[in-house]
Amino acid sequence: MSERAGQLTVAAGVLLIGIALAIGAWLLPEAAGYARVSVRLFPGLIAAALIVVGLLLLREAATAVGFRNLPEEPRGRLNWPAFGWVSAGVVAHMALIAGIGFIAASTLLYVAAGRGFGSARPVRDALVGIVLSAAVFVLFTQALTLSLPWGAWIPALW
Amino acid sequence: METWTLLAQGFGVALTLQNLAWCLIGCTLGTAIGVLPGVGPALTIALLLPATAKLDPTGALIMFAGIYYGGMFGGSTTAILLNTPGESASIVTAMEGNQMAKRGRAGPALATSAIGSFVAGTIATLLLTLLAPVVVEFALQFGPAEYFALMVLAFTTVSTVLGSSALRGLTSLFIGLAVGLVGIDAISAQPRFTLGIAELLDGIDIVVVAVGLFAVGETLYLAAYYAQAEETMEKMGGSIWMSRDDWKRSWKPWLRGTAWGFPFGSIPAGGAEIPTFLSYATEKKLSRHPEEFGQGAIEGVAAPEAANNASSTGSLVPLLTLGLPTSATAAMILAAFQQYGLQPGPTLFANTPQLVWGLIASLYIGNVMLLILNLPLVGLWVKLLQIPRPSLYGGILMFATLGAYGLRQSWFDLFLLYAIGLAGFLMRRYGFPVAPVIVGLILGPLSEQQFRRALAISQGDMSVFVAHPISAVLLVMALAVLAGPWLLRWFRRTRRA
Repeated sequence: MSERAGQLTVAAGVLLIGIALAIGAWLLPEAAGYARVSVRLFPGLIAAALIVVGLLLLREAATAVGFRNLPEEPRGRLNWPAFGWVSAGVVAHMALIAGIGFIAASTLLYVAAGRGFGSARPVRDALVGIVLSAAVFVLFTQALTLSLPWGAWIPALW
Repeated sequence: METWTLLAQGFGVALTLQNLAWCLIGCTLGTAIGVLPGVGPALTIALLLPATAKLDPTGALIMFAGIYYGGMFGGSTTAILLNTPGESASIVTAMEGNQMAKRGRAGPALATSAIGSFVAGTIATLLLTLLAPVVVEFALQFGPAEYFALMVLAFTTVSTVLGSSALRGLTSLFIGLAVGLVGIDAISAQPRFTLGIAELLDGIDIVVVAVGLFAVGETLYLAAYYAQAEETMEKMGGSIWMSRDDWKRSWKPWLRGTAWGFPFGSIPAGGAEIPTFLSYATEKKLSRHPEEFGQGAIEGVAAPEAANNASSTGSLVPLLTLGLPTSATAAMILAAFQQYGLQPGPTLFANTPQLVWGLIASLYIGNVMLLILNLPLVGLWVKLLQIPRPSLYGGILMFATLGAYGLRQSWFDLFLLYAIGLAGFLMRRYGFPVAPVIVGLILGPLSEQQFRRALAISQGDMSVFVAHPISAVLLVMALAVLAGPWLLRWFRRTRRA
């Protein structure tokens, strides 16, 4: 996607959020007997503000310069494989944590993210991930009394 | 002098073994995450919130405060040795300090920033001690209209003064305010904008938003654009101790940096960046060797480091006395207060003096701890910079998902985390600042409450916000911040034409 198309999309997204919020505010049921201040007023104001900034952003994006004063960065092309590995790690963790348990899901995430950042040693990463997540598991469940899934397929150690 | 009695009692609280331990944990953790690139104090506090819900509030808040200013101390180490500022307030330090490191003077650069941070932090804490009771006294006159106006002022400064574009800053703010609307409305008790999803009835937790933006969004961004980038780290060259000449050239910049930093932090002017730039410019102007600036002038490290520490302590003034956060980290500390059912403001000083003054006293102690942690032990922290990037970001994501999942063990929060992470990626890519989202999210519901309360008292008459003099002044100030730069440009353009 070209820089300009990207900016236009982002600006349109802001505008759409504003419109959706406005519709949602309009549909709010009025609370009975509440001292003359509509429940729609405050959300409506925010929706209006989002629509205004969305339009202003669209106007900026449509010009030749695009968004004003963007920070200059030595950014190359988007590295899709790296982005994909990190994303896959987070999504897999979300889908699997309840089933396979905290330690296994976190290790998977650790290995995938490492792969995204160019690690060529998945086995070593997996070992580090297991040790790290096991330590975190013990600390959080025992010392800080947070409850985390152990994973039904792993025999309980205690 | 009632203040000193209260402060003495505060020391009584802060000097208990337990609270000293919390302070030490906070300062150590703060330094560590300040040194690590990619992890900041706001993210760390967000990650710790679910895990600390059952702790004693005083101890936990002392720890969070330690993380807050410890991060400032630690950030300078990364800026000097790696030339990648850990946070925006260290940009100037990175410029000048890295030049010193390249010339084998990393030691004195680290020393002047650590001692300067200590001097500035201590003076700023003293000013906080003196100023807080005065502001509290003044704030007692505030009603809902004044609080609402104050929040509007904070909104405009946080989103327009900071960052490169007022328009994008405001966009971030309104997005944050919109996210804050989701959930059960506190006044009418109706669900709003939940799309019928039961998980959204409680609203979108600030932990998920902060962690999603700071950890997931940032990691996605770095993976997408910098996964293969190489970094060069400067060696810890030179003696860690400063020479006589270094001291002579450092002490005045420390004080001048403090003088820039504290006021900027304590008025809701948003962020620690501006005073660091101003103090750098001041030193360059006053220096007898302006040609050294950009080549490693010690003044250019000493002053901005003092300024950013003074500013972060200064921002505790509006946070504690008015409940007004002016940075993402301050917003997370406000969230921590709320987690314990506490609302910073005049009533906090009246109802829980032990907590407030214990917290203030802990700042004095924490500054001493940080000086010790940072000067002799700096070699230890430098080792953190050697963690390979795949492990660093893998670890960050592991803790990020743990923080979101730990809230209520729901996969839905992990889904939100990734969705917000994608939004954060886009924001980073297209230059939208993140801090206004966090401030908008946490202050939004509070400002709506004050807004509706003010209107309820005035029987729906909107003029209440300008009829009260204090509120009117605050709103005019907000308008000036918002329209000022635009009017100035318009004025210049018409004069040229």
